[in-house]
Amino acid sequence: MLIAGTIPIEDLPLIMGTVRAEGEFLVIDGHSIPCTQGTGAMIGAALAATNYLKLKAPQVLIAGDIGQGKGSREIYEYLIQKVTDIPPEVLALHYCLPDMALTRRLCEAVEKCTKRPIMIADAASMYAAKAAGLASKFDIFTPDATEMAFLADPDATHPAYINRHLFDTNIAQTPRLVTTAYKNRSAAKLLLVKGATDYIIRDGEIVATIDEPNIPELEAIGGTGDTITGLISALTYAGLEPHEAAIIATRANRMAGKFAQAMPATRVRQIIDQFPAVFKEYLCQWSGVCYMEGGDYHG
Amino acid sequence: MLKRKQESSFEGSGLILFLDVRDALRAEKVLKDAKYAARLVAPPAELRKGCDLAVKIKLVEQLGIKRLLNQKDVAYVSIDPLKAGTSELLQIVKVTDFGGWIMVRAGNMKLTFNENSGVIVNTSGGGCPDIPYLHAELIGKRLNEAARPRDIGFTLCALMLDRALEECLILWQGGRQP
Repeated sequence: MLIAGTIPIEDLPLIMGTVRAEGEFLVIDGHSIPCTQGTGAMIGAALAATNYLKLKAPQVLIAGDIGQGKGSREIYEYLIQKVTDIPPEVLALHYCLPDMALTRRLCEAVEKCTKRPIMIADAASMYAAKAAGLASKFDIFTPDATEMAFLADPDATHPAYINRHLFDTNIAQTPRLVTTAYKNRSAAKLLLVKGATDYIIRDGEIVATIDEPNIPELEAIGGTGDTITGLISALTYAGLEPHEAAIIATRANRMAGKFAQAMPATRVRQIIDQFPAVFKEYLCQWSGVCYMEGGDYHG
Repeated sequence: MLKRKQESSFEGSGLILFLDVRDALRAEKVLKDAKYAARLVAPPAELRKGCDLAVKIKLVEQLGIKRLLNQKDVAYVSIDPLKAGTSELLQIVKVTDFGGWIMVRAGNMKLTFNENSGVIVNTSGGGCPDIPYLHAELIGKRLNEAARPRDIGFTLCALMLDRALEECLILWQGGRQP
């Protein structure tokens, strides 16, 4: 699994390596990064899942970028040049300055891989994929309700430009927006739409909705969407079907919010810290794949 | 939940194009400070890269506008007649009251503050690379002391976060209650 995205440290160089946790930080090739909103939270959640399942820790490709785009372009260019040499089983793209031309080149490069990676996009990587008309090249998108409206708006190239009547819709309107997005070929094969009710949609059909436990405060906590994307990436890498991974990811995120007694001022690190306890208590029940002490799996 | 009315518009006939969002944000501020009609919009689709911003102006005022932007060292690519296909930025916001904390959503960005102290406790949403940076910069600061995302950010997500912060300031300073 390869997670690619920017980190808000301006002078951080382009780094590729295996991630490990060290206290409150994530360490890649000797560089410490915070486990905060954005790519850090996504990596932190994915690592929590791979550690629990005793899988190989995620490979990550990161670069410093505070919005000027240099680190984002370095990540895209590296992937364009190297993805066929790697090639990852799962490629999850996250916070990068949206660039339609680079996204197009990356998709062309991915098509040349001997085994095509499972392609996951969230945040601005999803914006660029949709804006460039490449959404259907992706296996999984993880939009929130506003971003779902963006996917449904045929003219918007960024959520800042979505049509007002689409912004006014609430999460209950998701099925209508989904139909429009698929009709416009602006959706990935699987959508996990995050909101008061989470919708899991496969090829335009709703396969599950999840609304328990109801923790409205999670919406205010920066990074709780990133953790869902990290979990779905890791669970897909673990071999679950994308829709199964999506269902478990959203349930685990909600339950971690409950375990953490989340409030609007809670930090995402506190949510991530709960994942091992959530997996221990619920993963077997939710997935039917049970990890026993000592390292054996039982299906 | 409360929604804000859309800002009054004007009949713009010209468009200033920029290489990046930050220049557009600076230009809009410079022009508004000088009392020019100016509004941030998306450039026409054929000119978009993915995170783009242009400024709509009255074309008849372009001479003075060019001079002002040059005086203030604001870089721009060109000033052209307005074409079909530009889009207005989303102006409306939504407010959620968590009981002690208020969350304001502008587009894809959300900002939450303590309603008594005015301290920003979280930002969420968005996807551009300056958003995690702004998250770290804003949390723990009082609304009226925090740096404005439009001044230290670079992208459309930062602009939406700035709109959320602006609305939070209005709410906290008593302009209205959610």
